[in-house]
Amino acid sequence: MRYAYYPGCVAQESGKELDLSTRWVCRKLGIELVEVPKFSCCGSGFLDEANLTLNVALNARNLALAEKQGLDILTICSTCQGMLSFSNLQYRKPEMKTRVDGALGQLGIHYSGQTKVTHLLEVLARSVTPEKLAGLVVRPLRGLKVGAFYGCHLLRPADELRSESAEEPHSFEEIIRALGATPVYYRGRVMCCGFPILFVNPASANRIAAHQIEDAKSHGADAMATPCPLCHISLDGYQNHASKAAGHDLDMPIFHLPQLVGLALGASPEELGLPRHLVATEAAIAKIGQVAVPA
Amino acid sequence: MRKHDVLVIGAGLAGQRAALAAAQAGRSVGILTKLHPLRSHSGAAQGGINAAVGAQDSVETHIYDTVKGSDYLGDQDAIEFFCTEAPKIVVEMEHFGTIFSRAEDGSLAARPFGGAGFPRTIYAADRTGLALLQALYEHLGSVDVTVYEEWDLVDLVLRGSRVQGVVAYHRRTGELDGFSAPAVVFATGPFGRMYSRTTNSHSSTGDGVAVAYRAGAWLKDMEFVQFHPTALIEDGILITEGARGEGGILKNGRGERFMSKYAPHVHELASRDVVSRAIYTEVLEGRGFPGGYVHLELMHLGKEKIESRLQEICDFCRNFAGIDPVTEPIPIMPGQHYMMGGISTNLRGETNIAGLYAAGEAACVSIHGANRLGGNSLLETLVFGKQAGIAAAAFAPTVPGAEVLPEDVRAAKDRIEGMKRRTEGPTPLPLRAELQKIMEEDVGIYRTAEELTRALGRLAELKVKSRDLRIPDPSHVFNLNVTDALETLHLIDLAEVVVAGALARTESRGAHARRDYPKRDDANWMKHTIASYRPEGPQLSYAPVAYTRWEPKERVY
Amino acid sequence: MPTGELLTIPFDVYRYDPADGSTPRYARYTLELAPHTPVLTALLRIRSEIDPSLALRYSCRSAICGSCAMLVNSKSRLACQTQVGPEFAEHGRIVIDPMSNQPVIRDLVVDQSPFWKEYERIVPHLILDPMHPMPEGRPTSMSPAQVARFEETPRCIACGSCYSACPAVAADPAFPGPMALAKLYRFVVDPRDTASQDRLMRIQPGGLWTCLRCHLCTSSCPKDVRPSERIRDLKEMAIAAQGATERGSRHAVGFKDNIAERGLLNESKLVRQTDGIVGMIGQIPQGLRMLRRKPEILRAPHAIEGQDEVQRIYELLEDAGEDGT
Repeated sequence: MRYAYYPGCVAQESGKELDLSTRWVCRKLGIELVEVPKFSCCGSGFLDEANLTLNVALNARNLALAEKQGLDILTICSTCQGMLSFSNLQYRKPEMKTRVDGALGQLGIHYSGQTKVTHLLEVLARSVTPEKLAGLVVRPLRGLKVGAFYGCHLLRPADELRSESAEEPHSFEEIIRALGATPVYYRGRVMCCGFPILFVNPASANRIAAHQIEDAKSHGADAMATPCPLCHISLDGYQNHASKAAGHDLDMPIFHLPQLVGLALGASPEELGLPRHLVATEAAIAKIGQVAVPA
Repeated sequence: MRKHDVLVIGAGLAGQRAALAAAQAGRSVGILTKLHPLRSHSGAAQGGINAAVGAQDSVETHIYDTVKGSDYLGDQDAIEFFCTEAPKIVVEMEHFGTIFSRAEDGSLAARPFGGAGFPRTIYAADRTGLALLQALYEHLGSVDVTVYEEWDLVDLVLRGSRVQGVVAYHRRTGELDGFSAPAVVFATGPFGRMYSRTTNSHSSTGDGVAVAYRAGAWLKDMEFVQFHPTALIEDGILITEGARGEGGILKNGRGERFMSKYAPHVHELASRDVVSRAIYTEVLEGRGFPGGYVHLELMHLGKEKIESRLQEICDFCRNFAGIDPVTEPIPIMPGQHYMMGGISTNLRGETNIAGLYAAGEAACVSIHGANRLGGNSLLETLVFGKQAGIAAAAFAPTVPGAEVLPEDVRAAKDRIEGMKRRTEGPTPLPLRAELQKIMEEDVGIYRTAEELTRALGRLAELKVKSRDLRIPDPSHVFNLNVTDALETLHLIDLAEVVVAGALARTESRGAHARRDYPKRDDANWMKHTIASYRPEGPQLSYAPVAYTRWEPKERVY
Repeated sequence: MPTGELLTIPFDVYRYDPADGSTPRYARYTLELAPHTPVLTALLRIRSEIDPSLALRYSCRSAICGSCAMLVNSKSRLACQTQVGPEFAEHGRIVIDPMSNQPVIRDLVVDQSPFWKEYERIVPHLILDPMHPMPEGRPTSMSPAQVARFEETPRCIACGSCYSACPAVAADPAFPGPMALAKLYRFVVDPRDTASQDRLMRIQPGGLWTCLRCHLCTSSCPKDVRPSERIRDLKEMAIAAQGATERGSRHAVGFKDNIAERGLLNESKLVRQTDGIVGMIGQIPQGLRMLRRKPEILRAPHAIEGQDEVQRIYELLEDAGEDGT
């Protein structure tokens, strides 16, 4: 397993712990991450609102960079995954392709449209497989009830580039189970975290985040885990705001996907950057090993 | 008590077009619908709307095709008016905002349709009815019309011979109220739900037709029921003619492509009535699949063609029958599709009751005569909806204030409360199922005196039973059983008219096929059946067909 | 009749009738059904065979009238177009609730007036300029390419599934919801309509920019109208036509400018770009909290290698935005 590694902006900045834990887990699983220092931002769902063609062109450049090395792209962010895939689809439209090729051609860049974009979650679920992952677990997360939180752009809009149902996915729960933890099923797991309007309509964003956290909690989750650093910002970084919207302290630890995997594979909280979270994860980690009450 | 100059019942294309015309004439207009206007059954029409707008087409050939299609039972003066109005009506709808499909040169695209001498069916992809309904509803939003949603029509109120308005039942609150208006337009659509295998919506229960009939309005040509050859056996969902147009074939239980016997030249592409009768014959003579149906096969066309050219059919089969037409045959039978008959009107939408108007499938002008052509029904709703609106608007100021009185409302209320209070007696849905069974068994595509007589007897028993109808839900909030009861009573009365007309008409014409009278009989039967209400059953009389320029000929395609 | 094996399926159906004074509850009905049976057919069987008092809306049973939208195992769906087999396989039962974001009248029947109000608010009819009347007695000329610009929007059957599924509607009642915005798009791109610019201007405050891009509307739409994608188009048109006039559009344009500098996002600068200096002050306490755990957020990120390429692409495509004409 060898991929052009696309960490995205946030994992290189405020969400550095995601990059840290991804590297730890991939080392452990023998997934080779090839650095591509020329990768630019995916557009994050904002750039296309200002200029779709520009966004598609920038991503076509990213996709071409991987294609040149004969590699598929590995993302660790639902939004990067969504935007790169979206651009791949947009690029197939003849008018768009003409405009984008026109610009890229002037830079001597050629993209043939062949690069596949895969998220770490999909690699774990389909390439590594939950069975193999379970065999590598050294510290089963027994007793921990985890609510998966997928992040919209990993699931929707449903198109031929998606590998899972847009509203009833399973891969994350399969991973959680493989790690020895108990997945919690709740509707919020496929809903929005509120991040896209966190700076535009913060009151609504906070209400939305609060709603999903409360949903997970009411179904018994000790912690939530997400494959998207933007969801992490909303659910962890701004959880104090969500708590205010909820009217009480939500106190819900939010793991990045590779952090949860890393814990089970034996990494220390420090190696996974857990102290960087705004909501403490210690209490959740302390539950590991305790006997779970059957859900 | 609500009051308007013009009150329209039904908010499909005919009702909305009538309301628009009346509002544009400056009248206070109310529309009463048992759904939301955008949920009306007009939206389900897929194919298109006929209008001779192409440079090489002519209104004259549209008239001829319609006269011939009607098997010479259509009124030729009305058909002439109808086809002449068509281009104007379509242009109007375009100006209201309809998103029609276009030809490369920017003009309206037209497709060929069965029984037409020229591609004159204007369309909007495979959802022409929806496109028209949306545009008309949205345009109606720019004029002053009050819409009353989710009201069921209960009674038409007359004082002497004069229309006072209607009494209706509000689903949401259980309230019964009067709507006073000197001019009332009934545009309540068809009554296909007297059959169980029908392409019609569940709401197609002939409310306006039955209420008008009981109030003394004449019904015309009710025995002419069009069956669509290919309806999914389970729920009657329509599989469009496109399936056969693209090369779909029909096979019986023995695996034989039986259409070669009935139409040796065109096979599956024969007209609707021919194909429907052929399928029926195969099943009746024991060559169907167990349970009584035949197969429509598309598999030989290949996945690519099926999925690109027949996308809609593919979705229908997969979503509603769990069948993949790429790999499996589609089990089909003919299903009730269109009612040629309805409230008798002239081409201004006027009925035999002053102040009562009707339009659309609820009405019978008659344009379609014994058999409707594809693409003419959407057109009819708009052409005659508009005429009815204009006429109602002109009539309203000529009569002094109409008024529905509290006792009119009370009479309706007592009936409904009576049914709610009953603790014994049949409930509406099983009773409706019994009705549907009678119609499916004895009043199908082929008819005989024996079956029709038996049907009349069974209907008479059902009518007796229906006097004890009970509403099994005391609630006043969205009590669908009230609706079910009203609708079932409507359907029973109308079924009786269909059967009586069919039994009396001892010939075969258009959609009316008598095994015991297989020939058209112009000498005795080139006339309209008129039914009027008697408590003991319909009284039939006959009216001449308006006849101008076109000599009856044998109808061959 | 090809029915195949029958499944024994439990239905838990939301029941509530304000007339009988009871509180909402779930009633359990168990039916034997073929896997491809539509949920609507199952509910109608409950009505005709078990409990006629169950209230729901339905009419065409072929996904064209839009009456029977409801929640099927929490998903906004048309009951007539959803088969029982996959739902039962996924959940072991079928839970039926009324649609969300609209008050319940009884059982599965909701009051759709919030949904219709938003639809009315976008002025859903052609607005004409008296100076440019429609051609007399003939249709407007419109090429197939112009018709294609409506995209999937004419397919909408106004069932309300998207409105029910939309978390932005749930969080902010001022948000018009996916259907109204897709409808707005349909009028903005209509060559017969003369008010496109005005429509774009009026929808922006409190409207357009609350969309979360979660695409739940698109995944719940029974007719593949794809409202979220049209909302995206509207945003791009609004910016191209009117510039960055709202917080939402400032954020999008700020993001675009932000990426131009280094090829990657400068997070703290983006907050400045969206909020302006005054708004920034409100973000200070949160910034300080973050800073304690994540000190690097104050540093500007490194520039990517090949940033000159990114800048060149910007120069070439800066003006490629959607202009809404």
